[in-house]
Amino acid sequence: MAPPLAAAAAAAAAAAVSSSSPLFSSSSSLPLPRRHLPPSSVSLRPRRRSTAAASSAAAAESAGRPLLEARDLVACVKENGQEILSGVNLTIREGEIHALMGQNGSGKSTLMKMELYFVSLYTVNLDQPRSNGVDLLFPPINVVLAGHPEYEVTGGTVLFKGENLIDMEPEERSLAGLFMSFQAPVEIPGVNNYDFLLMALNARREKKGLPALEPLQVYPIIEEKVNALNMNAEILNRAVNEGFSGGERKRNEILQLSVLGADLALLDEIDSGLDVDALEYVAKAVNGILTPNSSLMMITHYQRLLDLIKPSYVHIMEKGKIVKTGDRALANYIDESGYKAIATA
Amino acid sequence: MSSPSPALCAAAAASCSTPLRVASPVVRFRRPAPVVSAARASASAAPAVSDDLVLRIAEQLEDSVAASSPLLDPLRSASALSLLSTRWPTRRSNEAYRFTDISYLRSLPISLPSQEAPAVAPPASPYASHIHFSDGVLTSSLGAHVSALADLPPGHVRDRAAAALAASAGFADKDLFYDFNAVGAKDVVVVHVPEGVSMADDPVHIMFSYSGCGDGSMIMSNPRVLVVAEKGAEVAIIEEHFGQEDGGCYWANPVMEIIVEEDAKVVHSYVQQQSFAAAHTKWTVVQQNTSSNYEFVEVSIGARLNRHNLHIQQLGPETNTQLSTFHFSAQNKQIHDLHSKLILDYPRGRSQQIHRLIASGTGNGVFDGNIKVNRYAQQTDAGQETKCLLLSSKALVNVKPNLQIIADDVKCTHGAAISGEHDPNAIYFLQARGIDAKTAADALNFAFGAHVINQIPFKPIEKKTLAHFKALLASSRQNDE
Repeated sequence: MAPPLAAAAAAAAAAAVSSSSPLFSSSSSLPLPRRHLPPSSVSLRPRRRSTAAASSAAAAESAGRPLLEARDLVACVKENGQEILSGVNLTIREGEIHALMGQNGSGKSTLMKMELYFVSLYTVNLDQPRSNGVDLLFPPINVVLAGHPEYEVTGGTVLFKGENLIDMEPEERSLAGLFMSFQAPVEIPGVNNYDFLLMALNARREKKGLPALEPLQVYPIIEEKVNALNMNAEILNRAVNEGFSGGERKRNEILQLSVLGADLALLDEIDSGLDVDALEYVAKAVNGILTPNSSLMMITHYQRLLDLIKPSYVHIMEKGKIVKTGDRALANYIDESGYKAIATA
Repeated sequence: MSSPSPALCAAAAASCSTPLRVASPVVRFRRPAPVVSAARASASAAPAVSDDLVLRIAEQLEDSVAASSPLLDPLRSASALSLLSTRWPTRRSNEAYRFTDISYLRSLPISLPSQEAPAVAPPASPYASHIHFSDGVLTSSLGAHVSALADLPPGHVRDRAAAALAASAGFADKDLFYDFNAVGAKDVVVVHVPEGVSMADDPVHIMFSYSGCGDGSMIMSNPRVLVVAEKGAEVAIIEEHFGQEDGGCYWANPVMEIIVEEDAKVVHSYVQQQSFAAAHTKWTVVQQNTSSNYEFVEVSIGARLNRHNLHIQQLGPETNTQLSTFHFSAQNKQIHDLHSKLILDYPRGRSQQIHRLIASGTGNGVFDGNIKVNRYAQQTDAGQETKCLLLSSKALVNVKPNLQIIADDVKCTHGAAISGEHDPNAIYFLQARGIDAKTAADALNFAFGAHVINQIPFKPIEKKTLAHFKALLASSRQNDE
């Protein structure tokens, strides 16, 4: 057990310092175990890695079928053509947990004149007001992957399970096994939460050629998931997200994930708006649905979530690109020193 | 009052040069022979005060109501009097009908239901207190505090009802259809909830069923209900209008009057699912005294021509009024019209009005929502919101939300939105969960109406109405395809 672990740690250390390279997830020779890795000394001095080294690492990476492969992904806002992803390369394999981190845009005025910002992943949605003092951020990689109509892919490829994701309708992406949690879940007045879950569940069953389920057949299953998240069952009788608190909305997203299941879940700042206890329930639920064949990508600003759901890879984004990939040590480093340390290192 | 005078010959058509002298409490419609032909009546249009069609219908109504309760006399005579000088409303002549084409009402001859109560079994009701009208004729009324006007024993309740009906004679904002009902109402059901009595969980279920006569005419019926909630009383009313299984062509012209006394509360649910060949012209007249509550939920998804006049008058300060209405106009040339009027004359009234309308196919919707905040209605808090959804290029809505504010210390808000599509974010959210765009749109159409239907506080009625709406929505979508 010791040698592989050491190798993993070494690889992770190497990964932590790798700068932007075409194949990010390929830096470790083994799929990393989900438990806590021994802390490794991380040097953040930029070190040029030869492309040869990167590709040999890629060749060494053979375990785990790739679920999602993004190559040179370029995307922009449809309305004004503003580029928000400028050549993202990312591979997520079965059983992996990825975390995407990046600096927060602190508002539109600072965004304009910021000399150094990592927000490319997080473009501030200028149309939406600040709520509760928190910027409503739009992390485009998630919504681009999930097919939001406001964004347009202008270059590169994204394969999901080997199929071209870009050509799929949003619902086809979902039915193919991709789940995206919304940072700001939408209120749908009049649509009962339970009916909504049933409708989504039956859309999946229809896709698989299974007969639709009746409301009463599903209730025990859904109720169990609601209890697991320590939510009030009353939430099922309310309209989707209508009048929900921020925390309730986030938990409701995870409820949808746990009821519908997914091969790859993209969780967008599920930690914001949750108190410590609620975060634990959410993390427990997320850990509970992970299988050796399913994967997860989280977007977060905070270390705390990563202590509960332990990522095998941490990516740092800047100006629409992944500039660094490492293991959890990288996240620890950011937690202590901030993004600026990486930028200036 | 005691001795109705012989029939007063009311001069018809153009012959009214002198003011009408009507000393008698009962006016009779007798057109001078020879009968004025419809052609002549319309030819002599301009100065005419009376309208031949109006008089003809009034006469028919009067003939059909041979024996009615004397308590109705003041109301009947006042309405009969105004019918003499009321013209049939047209889109050009009458602002209140500017967007509503009621020509369907004169497309067929009018017939009236037989005198005797038909021997039909009343539809089943899940509630102990229930009333059934068949084609406007009262067939049964059960429950505490529920009685036909004619059956009321002399005493306080009877006097109260008589006074309320007499007061209705002076209703200033009435129109032709209100008067038709007053003249044609055979009997009135009175729901009288005594002071301090709460029946909030035990609703009074009023069912109005209608049928066509199948002979090419339109049966007209004029049921009337009076609800009085005395001081501190609470009552829930469920009012349902529906056609028989086979549908049919008929004209329902009901009136519901509600008096909410001090600190009393009336929760009123109204579901209209008439046959699609029916005409439905309806008045709901509410008076609210000090600190009273009136909560109203309307779901109108039936009838070919539907006109609802909702009139709420404040009689004291600190009233609370909540109105939620939903109309669905999907059938061929179907018309749904809501004219609501809320008159605030006293301080610190609160009101919240939500109006929702879906028009699809060649459906037509009209909304005129008037809120009058008069001089003494200071610190009024009135909100009004209307949202219309147009699902086809031939659907049409005319929306006129209007607040008339004279007081200077009030909080009034209103909003109107007319849209051809749903919030793209909501559609996308559903798509992101694997639901295709079409199913998502269907779900949101349903939700649009369910938002109001869900406010019906009684589960069996809510469920039934939701199911009915769902079926209609599905069939209208098939028609559009």
